[in-house]
Amino acid sequence: MKRILIVDDSFYMRTMLKNMLTDAGYEVVGEAPNGQTALELAKETTPDLITLDVILPDNTGLDVLKGIKKDQPEMKVIIVSAVGQEVIVNEALEYGALSYIVKPFSEEKVLEVVNKALQD
Amino acid sequence: MAKQKKEEAIAPEENINTLPVPATNGNTVAEQSKAQEVVKEENVHLIVFKLGDEHYAIKIDQVKEVTLTPIITRMPRTPDFVQGVANIRGDIIAIVDLEKRFNIRPAAVTEGLNPNVTYTLVIEAKDYSIGVVVKEVPQSLNLSMSRIDRAPSFLQDTNIKENYIEGIAKVDNRLIIVLDMLRILSSDEIKQLTGK
Amino acid sequence: MKSREQEYKEIFIAEALEYYDSLNRHISELEKQPQDDRILAEIFRLLHNLKANAKAIGYLQISDISHKLETAFSLIRNKELNFSDEVVTVLFDGIDMLGDLITNVDNPVPVEPDPVLLRNLDIIVDSLSDSAIELAKIQKYSSSKNLSLSDLIYIQIKKLDHMLNLVGELIIDRDRIISLSRELNNDDLKVVSSHLYRITEELQYSVMDARLVNIGTLFNKFPRIVRDIASAEQKDIYLKIIGQDIQIDRNILQIITDSLLHLVRNAITHGIELPKEREKANKPRAGSLVLSARNERDNVIIKLEDDGRGIDLKQVRKTAVRNKLVAPDIAEDLPDSEVLSFLFEPGFSTAKEVTEFSGRGVGLDVVKNAIDSIGGRLHIDSISGEGTTFAMQLPTSIAVKGALLFEVDSIFYAIPLIHTEQVIALDKDELHEVGDVMVADLKGETVTVVYLNELLNADEATINLGDKTRLQGQIQNIVVVSYNNRKLGLIVDKLYRQQDIVVKPLNKPLDKIDLYGGVTLLGTGKVCLVLDVPAITRYFIHRR
Repeated sequence: MKRILIVDDSFYMRTMLKNMLTDAGYEVVGEAPNGQTALELAKETTPDLITLDVILPDNTGLDVLKGIKKDQPEMKVIIVSAVGQEVIVNEALEYGALSYIVKPFSEEKVLEVVNKALQD
Repeated sequence: MAKQKKEEAIAPEENINTLPVPATNGNTVAEQSKAQEVVKEENVHLIVFKLGDEHYAIKIDQVKEVTLTPIITRMPRTPDFVQGVANIRGDIIAIVDLEKRFNIRPAAVTEGLNPNVTYTLVIEAKDYSIGVVVKEVPQSLNLSMSRIDRAPSFLQDTNIKENYIEGIAKVDNRLIIVLDMLRILSSDEIKQLTGK
Repeated sequence: MKSREQEYKEIFIAEALEYYDSLNRHISELEKQPQDDRILAEIFRLLHNLKANAKAIGYLQISDISHKLETAFSLIRNKELNFSDEVVTVLFDGIDMLGDLITNVDNPVPVEPDPVLLRNLDIIVDSLSDSAIELAKIQKYSSSKNLSLSDLIYIQIKKLDHMLNLVGELIIDRDRIISLSRELNNDDLKVVSSHLYRITEELQYSVMDARLVNIGTLFNKFPRIVRDIASAEQKDIYLKIIGQDIQIDRNILQIITDSLLHLVRNAITHGIELPKEREKANKPRAGSLVLSARNERDNVIIKLEDDGRGIDLKQVRKTAVRNKLVAPDIAEDLPDSEVLSFLFEPGFSTAKEVTEFSGRGVGLDVVKNAIDSIGGRLHIDSISGEGTTFAMQLPTSIAVKGALLFEVDSIFYAIPLIHTEQVIALDKDELHEVGDVMVADLKGETVTVVYLNELLNADEATINLGDKTRLQGQIQNIVVVSYNNRKLGLIVDKLYRQQDIVVKPLNKPLDKIDLYGGVTLLGTGKVCLVLDVPAITRYFIHRR
C-alpha cells in the first residue's frame, strides 16, 4: 500500500483529502498542520508521496518543499494550491514538485494526479 | 452590621482608659482613632493588653474590634499557639494565643477576675483577620510618639524577634512593649502552618 | 452513524468559526499595528482557507466574501490600498458578515449578504489607493442592520461565583434562623422560616442550575484533539463519545479540562499500541477510546476507557520499590488496586519515553490533585493486554455538598459523602489488633480501622493506633472512607445525620493546614470542621 503524508493547515481540507485517498486504497501515514510538523513527519514517516499546501501558518510551502528536497531529493511532492497562486506553483515546479492540484478539487482530479505521480 | 461611633471621649494624653467592651457585639475601635489622628499628628493611639505579667500594645489601626471571646472550636494537629477557630459574625477566623506563641509565662490568676471570661482582639491584616486572646480587659492609650523608644538595646536578647517590636514606651512606671502585629502575622512561622 | 456530508459540514463550521474568531482578533491587532506583516500574512492565510473550504463544500457566498476580503488584504499587503478608517470599517463589516453567514449555514431561511456591504467591498477592491472620492461614497453597513436582542445573555463566571457564595452564606443564616425558631417556639416565626427555607432552596438550585453546562462543551473538543495526537503518534484511534448532554458545574468542568486532556494523551501515546502491534495481538488495527459521562445520584461519572496494552503492574511494583514507596516483600502481596494507586504519587511514571503530545513532567499526581481539589474521586482500573479505564467521580455542583456529621472529643466534624463508603456499628470484639493498627472484617474485606480521637488528639509521642483499650464503650461507630483505591474505617464518638453543608474555605493563616478542607457553620452557630479525606489518609499513612 502506498503511503501518503498530507500537509495542510485546514483540518477540513486534510479530512477531505484523507478520506479521498484512503477510500482509494492509499494509506495516509500522517497529517501536518504546519511546516515544522511537515518536515518532521516527512523524515519520520518517509512516505511515498506528500501533498503540500502552499500557504502554511509558520512558513511558506516553498520553504517546506526546499527543506524536504534537501533531505530527501527523491521525495514525490504534489502542490495543493488555490486559484491565483500560479506564480508560486510555477516556482514550486521549478524546485522539483511533481505536479499540482487546484482547490477546490474533485475526487477524480486528486486521484488522477496522485495515481500518476505514484506510477513512475 | 451597624458600626456605631463611640461618643465617649478618650482622654487626651497619657491617660489609660478602660476600653468599653460590648458584651457581644464589638464596635470598631478603628473608628475612634480617626478622630484622634486629627488632634495631634505626633500622637499614637494604642490598645494595651497584658501577656503574662507585662503590658503589650498594638496600634489601634491594626485592631478591627475588641470582643468577648466567642466559643472557640479547637483544631487538632495545629501548632500549640493556635487555639482554634471561632465564628465572629459569620466570619470564621483563627484565634491565637500570643503567650504560647512567645513562650510567655501566664500570670497568676488575679483575684476577682473570672478566668473563663477572656477578650479577643480582632486584628485585621491585608486580606484576612485573626483573633488574639487576652485575659484582661484591653485598655486604650493615647500618647506622644516621642515617648516610644524605637531601639532599646535589650531587644537583641529577647526571644521575640526584634522586628516584631515597634518600640518600648514607659508610662507611669509601666513598661509597654509595642508590637507590630502585621509583622507577626506575615511571619513565615504563622504563614506556613501545616497539619504536621 | 453520521453521514460523511454531515461530518464535513460540522468540521467546516467548527473550523470556520475558529477562523472567524481569529480574524476578528487579528484585524483588531492590525488596526493598532498596520505595518505588521506577520498579522497581515495570518489574516491572508485564514481568509484563504475559508475561501477554499467554503468553495469545496459549496457555500459560495462565504467563499465569495472571503475572496473579496482576501483581495482587499492583498492590496493592503502590497501597499496598493491604505488601511484607513473607512477601509477598516468595511473590512470589519465584511468579517461580521462572514460570521453571520457561518453561524447561519444551517438556518432554513438563508441569510443573504447585505448588498450595500458587497458594493462597499467591491469599491475597496476595485479602487486604487488614490480613490478618496470613491471611498467617501461608502455607506455604513451597520446602520442598515436590524437591531435585535438575543434571548441568551453571556455572563462572566465571576458574577455567578459571587452569587453562589452569597447563596452559601444565606443558607447558613437560614439554618440558624430555623433552629432559633424551634427554640423560641413561635408559630409565626416557624411559618416564616419554613417559607424562607423553601425560597432559599429554590434560589440555591436556580443559581446552581445557571452554572450548569453540557459536558459536550468539553467532550466535543476531543474528536479534533484525538485526531491530531493519533496522527502525530501514527496510531489509528476510533473515538466514541457518550453522554454529551449530561450537565455539570462550569467551574468543575474547567478544573478537570487539563486532567482529561492529559488522560486522553496518555491513553493514545502510551496506552494504545501501534496498528502493527495490535494486529499481532489479534486486536483490531484501530484502537478504541470511549469517553463517556453519566449521572449517578448527585455525582457525574466521567469515564475514559481504552483497549490498549494496559498498565504493566510488574513495572509499577518495581518502580514503587525503587522509589522506596513500599518494601519489596510487601509490594509482592499488595492487591492490584493498591499497586495502581502508586501511579498517583508525585513524579511517578512508568512511561519510558516522553513524546511530544504526552508532555513532560506532568504526571497522574497532577490529575489526582485537580480532582481532589473539587472533592471528586479518581479511580483507575487496568487489565494487562486489554486496556485501562479511568473513572472520575465528580460533584455536579460546588456549593452544597452532602456530608456526614459526627463528633470526636466534643468537636463537630463533617466528611463529604463523596468520600464515604458506608457507616457501620461494630462491637469492640469485632476489631482486631494487628501490629500497630486495628482491622475489621467488612463483608469479607479486611479494612484498617483508626480511632479518630487517637489519630487527632493523642500526644504524638505516645500515639498508639493499634491499642483497642483506648476505645470507649463497647459499640463503635465507624465511618468507612475511601481514597485512592484504599479504604479506611474511622471510629467516631457520636454519629449524627447526613446533611447538606456549605463548605467555607479556611482563611489565612489556616488555609495551609491540609487536614481540613474547610469549615461549615451548623444551624446552632457552632463551627464544624470539614475533614479532608485525602489528607487524613495521607496523615495516617505517614503516621505509620
